[in-house]
Amino acid sequence: MIKVDDVSMRFNLGIEKNFSLKLFFINLFKRKEKTEKKEFWALSDVTFEVGKGEVIGFVGRNGAGKSTLLKIVAGVMKPTKGAVQTHGKICPMIELGAGFDMDLTARENIFLNAAVMGYSKSLIEEKFDEIVEFSELIEFLDVPLKNYSSGMVTRLAFSISTIVDPEVLIVDEILSVGDISFKQKSEKKMKEMIHGGTTVLFVSHSLTDIKQICNRVVWLENGRIKKVGGKELCDEYEEYMTK
Amino acid sequence: MFLRNIYLNMKQYRFLLQQLVSRDFKVKYKRSVLGVVWSLLYPVLMMTVMYMVFSYVFRFGDLMTGISFPVYLLTGLVMFNYISEATNLSMSSIVASGSLINKVYLPKYIFPLSKCLFVGINLLLTLIPLYLVILVTGTGLNIYHLVLPFVFICLFLFALGVSFLLATIAVFFRDMFYIYGIITMLWMYLTPIMYPIQMIDDRFQPLFRLNPLFQFIDFAREIILYGNMPSLRSFIICGACALIMLVTGMFVFKKNQDKFIYYL
Repeated sequence: MIKVDDVSMRFNLGIEKNFSLKLFFINLFKRKEKTEKKEFWALSDVTFEVGKGEVIGFVGRNGAGKSTLLKIVAGVMKPTKGAVQTHGKICPMIELGAGFDMDLTARENIFLNAAVMGYSKSLIEEKFDEIVEFSELIEFLDVPLKNYSSGMVTRLAFSISTIVDPEVLIVDEILSVGDISFKQKSEKKMKEMIHGGTTVLFVSHSLTDIKQICNRVVWLENGRIKKVGGKELCDEYEEYMTK
Repeated sequence: MFLRNIYLNMKQYRFLLQQLVSRDFKVKYKRSVLGVVWSLLYPVLMMTVMYMVFSYVFRFGDLMTGISFPVYLLTGLVMFNYISEATNLSMSSIVASGSLINKVYLPKYIFPLSKCLFVGINLLLTLIPLYLVILVTGTGLNIYHLVLPFVFICLFLFALGVSFLLATIAVFFRDMFYIYGIITMLWMYLTPIMYPIQMIDDRFQPLFRLNPLFQFIDFAREIILYGNMPSLRSFIICGACALIMLVTGMFVFKKNQDKFIYYL
């Protein structure tokens, strides 16, 4: 289903975002070695395979490379080395509501966001009512999103992203959506999707969630795979982290 | 093979393109009372201001015998406004969609393309006041107007090429936003929009003709103002300018698009 083959990812910290004309001229007169790029390997030699229907959890401290890895699998970034092969439609729930436009109403945003996620027009028209119903926002359907509370926005986003059955679902820290009742509902929906045979890549700092959902756990540390194992790896990880 | 890929890609992302264009429309007109009427009114008002300045203060109108100065002005303005607005919006389109590009895989060319299309629909709307002025001033229509879509397509492709180039540069070099503002202003004054090219010293006229935008405007004016079929040479020049720019822009964009994400 997903094959991550010897993937490495390098970031050049030195040139990140602060390239400007001023620096350009300064660098012009500086000796070469001073402008040497600071390299940072967010991932090095990561290899693993995910079979169909598997639910894999990723654990590791902040900056271990979890999100970078998911972005590479989702096709947002290209790895510096190595290759990723995926089959089937990928639904990245990396950050919900990325495609929302705050000036538009919820109704308009449902269509826009669905288009961003790559769904077809007919599909979204068919599922429109279902999305609205799931989000419980029917009375606010024609209100611009900027007047929504942040919880309402994520509710809408979650409802859109789970409406189709993708073959691969990439989830990065989003299970804490909305209030308690919606959180329960969204967790239930997620589990439904998972039991429906969707392959899931799941990042969370909540070990309870991971233990509940995943059947395999990958432990990342400084961009490398430290260990791969079953749910019991969570306990080992917890012990390691709280030491 | 390449064209087939483009076609398949287009088919897959047509809905997204359509949504992005309609988003721009909704956002643009949502807050204003007159809404879409502004698209029609704006070029006319701009033309009126320029007409007053350039015919009463600078007396450029006196240099044009036998043709209507308002039509001359408006033809140039409509086309210049298209290029300027389309390229400026496209330039910031990638940077502005940074958060989206960071999270979901999307073909990046779709952002400049949607801006050029959005402004293109606006351009079609501004043709309404243009034709009104053509009729009101008594310039009249002729059969060659049927050829005008050719030059508008060239204009669109040219703007798209410039947009790809600018969007790429702007990602790596944000100063481009300021620099291009000045370039646009310079471009406007160096293009004979509000003055006739005959005003320019004979020695420099060939230089002014190197400006592709002037070639497009000249093509349109030949039809609208003089009622002539543009020469075969004009057709070739306009088509070649558009294609060369488009291919250059696409090449630069395609070569750099995988690096965008590190700078967004």
